[in-house]
Amino acid sequence: MVTLLLLAMTACDKLSSRKPLEQSNAVYYWRTDLRLDSTERAFLSQYHINKVYCRYFDVVMDDSGEPKPNATISFSDTLPDSIEIIPTVYITEDCMHADHDGLAEKIVTRIRQMNETNDIPNVREIQIDCDYTSKSRKRYYQFLEEVGRLWKARLSTTIRLHQLSMPAPPVDYGALMVYNTGDPRKSEERNPILDYRDVGPYLKHLDNYPLPLATAYPVFRWLRMVYGVRYEYTVEAEEILKVKHAMEKERSDLSRSIITYHLDKDNIDRYKPETYEEIYHH
Amino acid sequence: MKRFIIISLLSALIMPAFACGGWGTDNYYLFSPYYGQSFKSRVEKTCNDNWKAYIGDTSTDEWWSFHDEDVLKAARQKGDALMVSYVQNLQKYLKCVSVERDKQYEWGYPSKDEIATQQRDLKAIRTYAQGKLNSKLRSQHGLLFMRCNMMLGQHQENITFWEQTASQYIETVYKDMMHNIYAGALYKTGREAEAGQLFAEMNDYESLMTMYYLKRSYQAISQHYKQNPTSKALPWLLTDFVNNAQEYVDNGGSGYANGKMFVRDINAQESWQMQQFCEMVVKEGKTDCPIMWKMAKAWLEFLSGKKKEAATDILDAVKLDGTARMKDNAHVLMLYITAAQAKPSQAFDDYLADELTWLRGKQKESTDDSFFDNVETRLTNYVLVPHYRYNPVRLTAVARALHSAGSGFDLDTLNVADTEKYLYYTNSLTNNKLDKFLKANIHENDTAMSDLIGTKYMRLCQWDKAIAWLNTVPISYYNNNRSKGYLYYSLIRQWDVEPWAKRQWLDEDKAWEKDYKWWKHRKLDFCKEVQMMENSLNMLSGKALEQSCYNLAVRYAQASIHGDCWWLLRDFKSCMDSVRVHEVDLGQKAVKMLQKAAASTDLSLKRKALFALGYRELYNDVKGLSHWYTVSWEAGESVQAYHRDAPQFQAYQALYELTGDEPQEEYIRKCDAYDQFRKYYREHK
Repeated sequence: MVTLLLLAMTACDKLSSRKPLEQSNAVYYWRTDLRLDSTERAFLSQYHINKVYCRYFDVVMDDSGEPKPNATISFSDTLPDSIEIIPTVYITEDCMHADHDGLAEKIVTRIRQMNETNDIPNVREIQIDCDYTSKSRKRYYQFLEEVGRLWKARLSTTIRLHQLSMPAPPVDYGALMVYNTGDPRKSEERNPILDYRDVGPYLKHLDNYPLPLATAYPVFRWLRMVYGVRYEYTVEAEEILKVKHAMEKERSDLSRSIITYHLDKDNIDRYKPETYEEIYHH
Repeated sequence: MKRFIIISLLSALIMPAFACGGWGTDNYYLFSPYYGQSFKSRVEKTCNDNWKAYIGDTSTDEWWSFHDEDVLKAARQKGDALMVSYVQNLQKYLKCVSVERDKQYEWGYPSKDEIATQQRDLKAIRTYAQGKLNSKLRSQHGLLFMRCNMMLGQHQENITFWEQTASQYIETVYKDMMHNIYAGALYKTGREAEAGQLFAEMNDYESLMTMYYLKRSYQAISQHYKQNPTSKALPWLLTDFVNNAQEYVDNGGSGYANGKMFVRDINAQESWQMQQFCEMVVKEGKTDCPIMWKMAKAWLEFLSGKKKEAATDILDAVKLDGTARMKDNAHVLMLYITAAQAKPSQAFDDYLADELTWLRGKQKESTDDSFFDNVETRLTNYVLVPHYRYNPVRLTAVARALHSAGSGFDLDTLNVADTEKYLYYTNSLTNNKLDKFLKANIHENDTAMSDLIGTKYMRLCQWDKAIAWLNTVPISYYNNNRSKGYLYYSLIRQWDVEPWAKRQWLDEDKAWEKDYKWWKHRKLDFCKEVQMMENSLNMLSGKALEQSCYNLAVRYAQASIHGDCWWLLRDFKSCMDSVRVHEVDLGQKAVKMLQKAAASTDLSLKRKALFALGYRELYNDVKGLSHWYTVSWEAGESVQAYHRDAPQFQAYQALYELTGDEPQEEYIRKCDAYDQFRKYYREHK
């Protein structure tokens, strides 16, 4: 009885420590040169975007088996002053298959140096993106703890739907990636970017997930070939909104911090303004 | 200090980021209507030759690269102050370039100060270079001037400098490089079409592809043609399109295999549109090379599976106008398309003999271009090897006479009867045109073939035949043709040592310490010994028979691929190796012998045989057979499973029943594999 009570208290504690995120509209920026055209600038303004998760560089394994930066962004342009930039680093999962001494420090130092060199002030948060699995999870979480210690400010990480069933990572909040939900091998049956039926099984994890979550929705196009047939995937606006409503019904605070992946003129033109308004509706 | 001089920074600065680079294996592209050494390799080689001449280096090392300190030393010795100052400024320039590289790929991202220093240095170097434009090294300094402008983003200044000054310089490699930077400046200032023409003229494939990276579709190419039907960029774009279509087919629908740069997927619809477009271009008559468009159509048809249409179109293509290279390319495609559809016949063999002779002639003519060699490899691997499967001897001859790396054909695994026939074939006379061609290009060593055939009989445990063939192979053959490592292993490792009781570990470094040589024919000795032991089995009984079975098992196990004496049946060993086709599983042959020994009433022999039957290496190549326990990963956790029906388990179980939990024999007590079993079995009887 005492044990049950303690367990219940622990669970309550966890959920009560789940502070809701501040309300925000955000985008991912995933190109290798920060340069916005007029459509993209207008988008930022029109939808009151106040955060840009900007991919700074990738970390990949090099030929000698050591993680190295790759595809570093160039800063040909700047973001409007009112927008907070959140440096984001994508790390390939194989970097977490072995211990790499000093990796967290290298990444944090590089981000700080990039901010300083390129006059990007007041960076308060960084985000790490990694498709960790049960094999790499423990090492990844240790790595995140180290990043958190060194960064000494807000730290977030991406969470894929399949990662919801694992223990939560040691970060301030997660950015729930509500895309790439399907099996590409079964793409004729379901849209591999997003299909409501693929999201359904994960909904049950949402309410108990102990971290605050921002939610990232897909607005991108994906081209691929399957047995000689060219497939072009985009997600219908209705599907995105259906998923959004289902998720927010399950956990209401998911509507507080919304991200779209990713900022690009083609993606902006793909959907009607009403769709974006609905996606960014809190 | 060793550095490469970066010759064309256009690519480095504007190319999209690629996570991987590198080139594939044998799916060589057959559409190659233009030949020209690439701009990058041409200027790199000429620059290196110039530096080598300056410092008096006569080496022919193809990996030679510029060492700034060597040049400085030579310049100082010559009292060439101008060269000293030029190289010193070049060093500074290279330092500035490395700052850009650090930005992309190094953990140490440059600081603001470093970038400010870089910019300041670039300006200083530019000023220096500008001041030397009337010196005797004006071309080198002109290049340095333009490089600095490029790094500083002063593209208009480069355009002006080229048009008013550098274009008047004498023809040198430095002028070519300035021209290339000029083209880049045109591109950077929005004059894309002009830049494209220049890059195409220079054979600067990387810059072209960077420029046209997103303009390579049928739609984009047809638009490009409409604007300028004789654009010099069109052949490059068409080549890129057709080769991407080939890449897509070769990789079964995923063009991004092998990490090749610039690859894009071409689907059936887009390929069909391009085929129609090629036909329209030929009919319209505005192009000066209709053969290129027609053969592109034929090759795309072939790749799309429309082989009859391809055959008709390629026959038409070879009659059209174009350069000599295009005509050769059409000839190659005609050969490939024809051969791929040919049924076995004497007429085809004769045709092929003539065509291969032509192809070899082209290879000799073009020493600095591997296209015709690559054609031979692809033709052999994709067409001829499958075509001649019905005739193993001819197939072997084709694979051995032609470039066939990557075809999957391996003489080592050909069955022994066909290997014998092939050896006879290579030594017999013929009137057949194709056989004459093949034999003229086959260079087999009869002694090596005898060793191979003898070894193949050893793999089948046919000792009498093995002995007959190996008897003809002198000991000197092995001493002269086997690696030091092989000779070392084959001399030190003994086949009468029980592999389950003692591993014959060797220090491989010692193989190079002295000259190991055979003084006895080790393979022949093994065959004779095992043959004698097998023959004696019929004459033995009781304990002597059981002991002989055990001794034979030791030899089989040692000679197997997992034994220490793998060198008896193979020339080299890989840890991934297993029993191959046309081979007896010697591990299992050892098991059969050990089972007979394990039935012995002699408890000592019985224990030894049971212990040997627990040796895991004996079961490695039996499909569906588990070791006594296995480890697998399930949901990220390691899961151990125990298999009581495994022969290894049963052998250890019988040994446990025989020796109890505390075995007396040292060889059993010291075995950690058995100890592991003992611990498990003690608790899970």
